[in-house]
Formats: sequence, structure tokens, C-alpha cells
Amino acid sequence: MLEAQLQSLAASARQRILASATPEQLQAVRVEVLGRKGALAQISKDMANVPPQDRARIGKLLNAAKTELEAALESRENEFAAQALHARLDSEWLDVTLPATGPRPGALHPITRIQQELEELFLSMGVAVLDGPEVESEYNNFDALNIPPDHPARDMQDTFWLTDGCCLRTHTSPVQVRGMAKLGPPLRMIAPGRVFRNEEVDPSHEHTFYQLEGMMVDRNISIAHMLYFMKTLLRRIFGCEVTVRLRPGYFPFVEPGFELDIQCLICGGSGCPVCKHGGWVELMPCGLVHPNVLRMGGIDPEQWSGFAFGLGLTRLVMMRYGIDDIRLLQSGDLRFLRQF
Amino acid sequence: MKFSYNWIRELVTGLETPPPDLMRLLTLKTCECESLEPVGAHFAQVVAARVLQVEPIGGSQNRKAVVDAGPLGRRIVVCGAPNCRPGLVTAYVPPGTVLLGQRIERRVIDGVESDGMLASGAELGMNRDHEGIVESAPAGCLPDFLIDVENKSLTHRPDLWGHHGMAREVAAITGNKLIEPANPSRIPQQQAPVSVSIQDFRLCPRYSALVFHNATVQPSPLWLQYRLQSIGLNPINNIVDVTNYVMAELGQPMHAFDQDKLSGATIFIRAAGEGERITALNGESYHLTPAALVIADSSGPIALAGVIGGLDSAIGELTTRIVLESACFHAASIRRTSSRLKLRTDASMRFEKSQDPMNTVRGLARALELLEIVSPGIRLVGGLADVAAPPQPSHAIELPLDWLIRKLGRPIDAAEVLRILESLEFGVCSRQPGLFSVSVPSWRATKDISIKDDLVEEVGRMVGYDTITPLAPVVPAAPPPDNPRRRFHHAVRRITAAQGYDEVYNYSFVSEQLARRFGFHPSAHVAVANPVSSEQGLLRVSLIPGIARNIEENSRHFDSFRIFEIGFEIHKRQDTLPDEIPHLVAAIYHRGQDAGPLFEGKRLAECLMPGCELSPAEPRLFEHPSRAAQVHWRGTPLGRLFEFHPSFVESRAVALDVDLELMQRLSPAEKRYQPILRFPASAFDLSVIAPQRALAGVLQQQIASLAGPRLHQISFLRLYEGPPLPDGAKSVSFRITLAAHDRTLSSEEVSAVRDAIIEGMRLLGYDIRI
Ligand SMILES: [Zn+2]
Repeated sequence: MLEAQLQSLAASARQRILASATPEQLQAVRVEVLGRKGALAQISKDMANVPPQDRARIGKLLNAAKTELEAALESRENEFAAQALHARLDSEWLDVTLPATGPRPGALHPITRIQQELEELFLSMGVAVLDGPEVESEYNNFDALNIPPDHPARDMQDTFWLTDGCCLRTHTSPVQVRGMAKLGPPLRMIAPGRVFRNEEVDPSHEHTFYQLEGMMVDRNISIAHMLYFMKTLLRRIFGCEVTVRLRPGYFPFVEPGFELDIQCLICGGSGCPVCKHGGWVELMPCGLVHPNVLRMGGIDPEQWSGFAFGLGLTRLVMMRYGIDDIRLLQSGDLRFLRQF
Repeated sequence: MKFSYNWIRELVTGLETPPPDLMRLLTLKTCECESLEPVGAHFAQVVAARVLQVEPIGGSQNRKAVVDAGPLGRRIVVCGAPNCRPGLVTAYVPPGTVLLGQRIERRVIDGVESDGMLASGAELGMNRDHEGIVESAPAGCLPDFLIDVENKSLTHRPDLWGHHGMAREVAAITGNKLIEPANPSRIPQQQAPVSVSIQDFRLCPRYSALVFHNATVQPSPLWLQYRLQSIGLNPINNIVDVTNYVMAELGQPMHAFDQDKLSGATIFIRAAGEGERITALNGESYHLTPAALVIADSSGPIALAGVIGGLDSAIGELTTRIVLESACFHAASIRRTSSRLKLRTDASMRFEKSQDPMNTVRGLARALELLEIVSPGIRLVGGLADVAAPPQPSHAIELPLDWLIRKLGRPIDAAEVLRILESLEFGVCSRQPGLFSVSVPSWRATKDISIKDDLVEEVGRMVGYDTITPLAPVVPAAPPPDNPRRRFHHAVRRITAAQGYDEVYNYSFVSEQLARRFGFHPSAHVAVANPVSSEQGLLRVSLIPGIARNIEENSRHFDSFRIFEIGFEIHKRQDTLPDEIPHLVAAIYHRGQDAGPLFEGKRLAECLMPGCELSPAEPRLFEHPSRAAQVHWRGTPLGRLFEFHPSFVESRAVALDVDLELMQRLSPAEKRYQPILRFPASAFDLSVIAPQRALAGVLQQQIASLAGPRLHQISFLRLYEGPPLPDGAKSVSFRITLAAHDRTLSSEEVSAVRDAIIEGMRLLGYDIRI
């Protein structure tokens, strides 16, 4: 009798659990069937009337029905939870093509970028990075570099003279003098920085631009060593093997002095507007350090020798990014600067 | 400077190297050749012609001429030149010739078919004469090429300022023989009709002169005019043209005086007297000082030595007696005079390169020969006037072969070195194997070559730098010396950019006007003595004016932005180089009148200087008077954070300006780890009622000092003004966190601290809301 009742109750509860359409309906089933005053609790009370010989069996049936219904309830609840989660996530749809938020990192100036790249390259080659002031003494800018007063080489450089007799450095070469005094031989150094020439500004001329000076002093430094160093440097700068040539160039602080040309990277040497149809692009002056310069730097030229070079950073930046107007670099114009 | 290929060929026996190849070889071994330009291509067609007959054409200025064009036969041309007359020998240009970029065609002019044309000197590119057709046959004029050499690459080579010097290089490169065009033995050993007096041999190491009589001043032969015109020297008359020709050939500037216009028979080379004047050939009158060297006769200056001749003693049409000067002057002195008078001439350009004193007589000898050609009947009178400083003893340069090889970085044998140096006319002897004793030719000895390093270049360039194989130098694998300042600046750049600031570069210059506008007194600046424009008058003592300009210009294109610059403030110092102080200036701009981005700027300051503090500061001219603060870090003031005064930047803009040298010095060298709390902390909130302009930072400090040693953290929560608070009051709320490292604090301990704070703040006059 009780057994039949139990079976019928379990069957109907199973039915209602499966049929429940909302978590609330399911909760009602739980209360009615499994609650403290629910149907199963009633049956469990009625157990007292069951003949003792049946009690164990019916008790077992009762427990089995309870376990089964609880599992069914839980499973149905999980279904509802899963549905609810799915519905919520679905409602949280975002248009991923909308713009990003949060601060946009600023752009470093293109000269900073190239300069840092070169500094890292030189540091990796064991070369020190030195600084020098923008305002230099006439002695450091000229005399100590073997350019005495009234030397025609002073014409090559239109100098901004200051009222106190100093000048704005016309090249980064004075850092050679400072570097020799600071480091002593042997030494390997570069000095990137701002230099000044007193001239009218137009798309290809600036009174303010950037150079990178380099110098190595050691025992028995030769032109062959300089060539190796330059080729290694240029391979990294341009990211490919470059063909170079040396030709005589006159700079009072080196002897012999060279202009280093690279074979035009645009046309490969066959001639184009960039190389003025010559196949070669003049890239940097260089040479073996003049013994007078070593001497003025406190280094004995009989014991030591070296090479030096000057790289036009501004020019390199313009080549690298295809910038055709030098004035943009110091314009402060964000429409230009944000491209880097 | 332009070099004529034909001229070089005249000076190098059997030179067959085509012009483009020659240009490339010279570029690789001698100097920078910039371009190659063909000239006078029409001379392949132009021929001499005799005018046979001239007839007027009715109603026209032009006339019909019949000419005998030699191999081209008889031709009829229409000619407008007034000097076209029967019997004249001139230049005939046949149809099909290209002249000044235009093709000459057979065409009908004024009803007459003109079969080509008769040409003027200007049309033929020989001179600037447009007045009529040329008055002689274009004999000796040939198509030529001009090699344009970058003057800078000749700075150290006085010998290359003439064709003969370049020809010497060519001969050395190609192995051909160099021709010497001057023959000094033709000058007779006789007494000179003028004497020379040199005041200071340092300023004038040599002065040589010849006197000629019976000269005829007239136009030079066309070939000579053409040659000068091609390289950019204007033909003037035969006498002057010869001096220019010799200068262009031998690099020796010369000058011709009209002897009849000179007083006395002595030429003085002396310092100008104070206030002396000279009217130069260019028509300008110059006031002189004793710093200028002059050539003078007994009555006064007749030329500015080495720069320009005087007008009063110049060769004129009627001149028949000539004093021809060929001298050598001190380079620096000429350079100073020419730059002070702003007068750079072909002569001064050469003298300032240190000319060879041995060249003066060579120049005269060459001129003698040429004058005889261009002024038939001219007669040399007497011998050479020549006064020179005692010759400097020339010392030979010792050149060890092994040293040379080490410098070049490639092996080379003694014979090769010998061949190269001798091809450049160095004297070489080798008393012991492996050691050369090299004597330098006079034209290379004035400045160019004095030490063995100079000879490395001579051997290197001639053997070819392309024959040197790159070789890795052997160096110790050691890290280079550190540059902490530069590393620090790069770190600041990285942090600032990461906060959304774009980097700008501004000039180191500021105009006086801009400096004044920002309240910086011009006299506080280092000033430029020779600015191109007033924009470059002063060196900046602050990066702010530049940044303000960037804000203004960018605000035309953007509603809001952040920018920064790292650069040097340049401050005057007594008797030493100026102080260059690196600064960071970072700015934020927002269009509109909202609260303003001051606290965004403060965030950057905290990123760079964790724990930095601001205090209200006396505003400067360009700062918002209620929004200007000093930035302190670790107890040191090192910058400003402020909003721009609205009269400097419209809308809201904020700038942070920090001294990077101080910031670097204050930056902690290293960080130490603090143990994480192992026991729970206790927190409570307090609101302080304070006057509206009380500083929250001060309130926080007061609370912190009242809280005692258990204070773990105190943080600002919120600020409130308005009801129910009375006007002029505000409520500032803080969260106070207490903790201990060894235990959990009891509620009694926490309450005690809390009560102490409340009590203390009330004693300080603040009301506390819990
Ligand atoms: Zn190219």
C-alpha cells in the first residue's frame, strides 16, 4: 500500500521536475516533495504503520526515491542556471569594432628612436656613449681639432658665435677632445647630439640638427680596421649588406680623411634621383685621427692611433622614414610626430 | 671650381681617358667631382667665314650677307649685327647646329632665306658680347667638357686651384707624362726697371714682377676668351685675360698695373696706413686699417694685396706699358682682409689656401709667352724684379715602410711606394731598407704635407682605398663605461611616453621678444652674436616658451593632447661655459573650461618621482595665479606644476617642468623589499571639516602624525562641499589603516588610536565627522 503510494509519488515528481519551465516551478516541486512538510516526509512518518518485516525494504525504497529525486532536481537546476548564464552572456554582446579606451602611449621623436637604436648598437659593441655641451669653447670646437684661427676650414662651418666668445658647437667632434681627456687610451666612444650651423632654413637646410660622433683609439689602428667597423655599423643601420667606398675628403682633424659613400640602396648603384644618378650616396666623413688631435687630447700619437667618424643622424632619420622636409623635425607638429 | 677637360689634356701627354672615367678616377683619388657638363658642342659645326657682300633688306634693320664659309662653300644669311661688313672674318653657324639650347634652322627672315647664321661671342659662349658678330675666326675653339669640383674638397690643396695642378694628379693616376707650360729660362738675367720693397716677409714672402712696353690692349683671341668664359671667368681684355689665364692654369693669381699711372719706380708691399682709402676695380671705395696689406707706389695704395687691384692704376684701352705682378701673400692675413671687406675674389680664394712662393716666377714666365701671342709687338723690358724671404729650410719626412703598412692595413712593397710618391713629384731616397726619406714638392709644402701621416693619404689614395680589405680590430671584450645620465633621460622619456605624452623637439633659441613676454629678462640669456634672424637671438633659459608655442599650434588641430620635451636650459655663468641643465617639460591641453588637467600632470610627476609633493607657489607671469605649485621630492624642490595663465594659453593647459639633474640625483639607487603584512589590518574612515582653502595634504600629514607607529596607510577618500556644511567649509575624508607585523591589533588598540586622532584634530581646531 505505502509502496504503491511511494512509487506513484516518485513517478509524478519526476514528471513535474522534467516539466517545470522555470526555476520557481522547480522550487515548488522541491518544497512539495522533498520539503520538511513534503510528500516524502509524510511517507517517512507513515513508516510507523508499516509491518516490521517490510520496514527495511520500504525504507530502502524511500531513500532511493529521495536520492533519485534530489539528483533530478539538481540536474534540472543546473540546466536552468546554464540557460540563465547563457542568456546573460548573450545580452552582454559588445561591438568589438568600437575604439579602444585607456591612455594611448605617446610617440618618441624619430631622432630619439634612431639615436637610442644606435646607442644600443654601439653599447653592444663595447663603445661608450658620451655627452658634450651645446655651447662650446672656440678651442674645443676648432683649435683642439686642428682647425686654428684663420684656417680656411672654418669657412666650411657657419658658426653661431656667442657674445662671450664661445660658440654653439658646429659638430659633435669636440666630444672627441672631451672623450680623450675623460677616458684616456685605449678608448671607444660615440657622442650623439645637437649641433648648429648658422644658415637659412629651408626644406633641406636647418640651423639645428643632430650628429653622431664616433672615435676609437688603440694600438696600431689602420684604415682596414676603420672599414670593418664602418661596414659592421652600416649593416646594422640599414639591415642589409651595404657596399661602401672610401674616397679622399678633407677634414683637418683626421689624416688621411675620407668621405665614406654607400652604394645607393634605392637603385643598387645603377643611378636614380636619390643618388643624383651617380650610384653612390655620401654618408659620412671619417678618417684616422690626426696626430695633433691625439696630442691635444693628451695621447701620444707614437704609441696610439685611432679613427673617427661623424654620422648625420638627422639625415639618417630622413632617409629611414622618407621625410622630405627637414623642418618637420623641430616643428612640434603632432600630425607629424604621432606617426612614429 | 670648374676644370676644362681639353685644358687638362693639353697638359698631359697622350691622355685618352674619357671625361666620365676621368671624373670618377679623380673623385676616388683626389677630390670630389660633382658634375660633368659639355660645353661648346656647336664648335663641331661652326666654321670661320669671310663676309663677301652685304645688302640692305627693304624695310628691315637686317641685312642680307653673302659669306664664304670655307669648306661649306658660299652661303646667304640674314644678319642684324651692325658690324657685319664685307671683308670681315667671323663665325658661321650652319643649319642644324644647336646654339644655347636652340636648333638653328634654315628659315626665311624678312623675305630672305637665311642659310644658318653669323654669331656673336655671347651666342657662341665665348664672352658676354651681344653687340655684334665676332670679329675673328673661331680658331682653336673645340667642344669641351667641364668637370665641376667641390671647392671644399680643395681647401687643403693650393696646387689644385689651377689646371696644371689637376693635370699633375691626372698624370699620376693614369701614368701619363705631365707637360710643364712655363719656361722661366726665357726671362733674361738683367736689371729690372722697377724695384720692390717688402715691409714684412711674413705677410708677403715673395713679390715678383716684370715690365712690358709697347703693349696693345684689345680683345683676346677667341680661343682664349672661350676658355676663360667656359670656366666662369669673364674675358675683359688681352692683358687682364692673360693674368686670369695664368691663374686658371698655374693657380698663381697675377695683377697688371698701367706703369704710366704709377708714381715712382718702387713697389711697396706694406700695411695700410690708418684711414687710407682705395677705390678698387669693382668701383667700391674701401677704408683701410693697418690690418690690411696693400701694394703701394710712392703716392699711395694701388692694390689691396691678394684681393683686388685699384681702379686708378688699372689697365685701360690706352695702356701701353705694363707692370705685371706675381706675388705670394700670407694666407690668414688675406683671409681676414677679404672677410672683413666681404670681398672674396678669385685671387683671395687662392691666397687663403697658402700659395707656393716658388710659383711666382713660373707665372710670369708663362704670362710672357702668352702676352707675346695676344699682344703682338709687346716687349719685355729688363729682367725680373724679385724679392723673397730667405727660403725656409725644408726638412725631409722620415717614412718607415712598416709603419705605413700598419696605417694602411694592407701590405705594399717599397717599389710601389716609391713609384707613387715619385709620380706626385715627391723626392724619395732610401738610405736604409724599409725607411724612406721623403722631400715634399714646394706646391704641397705650404700647408698640406708636413708629417708622415700626410704621406699615408698620398700612398693610400693612389694605390686605391678599394684595395684595403676590412679587418676586425682586436679589442678586449669589456663593457664600456656607463653613462648614467643618458640612461636616466631615456628612462624618463619611456615613462613619460607611456603616460601618453608625445615627444617634441624645440630649438635652443628664443627671440628677445618671446623671452620678455614670458618674463625672462634678455640680459639673463646667453646671446648669439651673429644670428641669421631675431628668432635666434638668445639661448633659452626655459623650455616653457617653446612648449607654449607647441600647445598653441597643435590646438588648431587637436582638442586635447599631451606633449613633452627633454632639453637643456642654458644659463649664463661668469668666466666659464654656460650651465646646461637638462629639463623635462610635459604639458597637457584640453579645449574647454572644465576643471583642467592639473591632476593628470600630477600623476606624471608621481610616476617619475614616487611620493613627490606639491606646495602652492608664488605664481610666475605665465602661471595661473591660483594653480601654481612647486614640486618637492625627498625634501628638495625640483620643479613646477602649473596651469598656464589664460592670457598665455586659451582653454586649459598644464605644464610640469622638472630639473632632471636634480631628479637623477634624488632617484633611489636601489629598492629594498618590505615584508607583506601577515596579520589582518584594521581600517576606519574619518572626515575632517576644514576651511575651504585648507590643504588636504596638510590635513593628511596631521592625521598621520597623530596616528602614531601603528599607522600602516592613510589615503584620501573624497572631498565634499555644500549643505549641510556651512559656506566656506569643506569635508575631507580619509581612510586610516592600522596594522602590526607581529599580531592582529585588538579593537581597544584601534579605538585608542582613533580617539587620539579625533582628539588631536579637534585640538587643532577641526571638526571631525565619523
Ligand atoms: Zn640611386
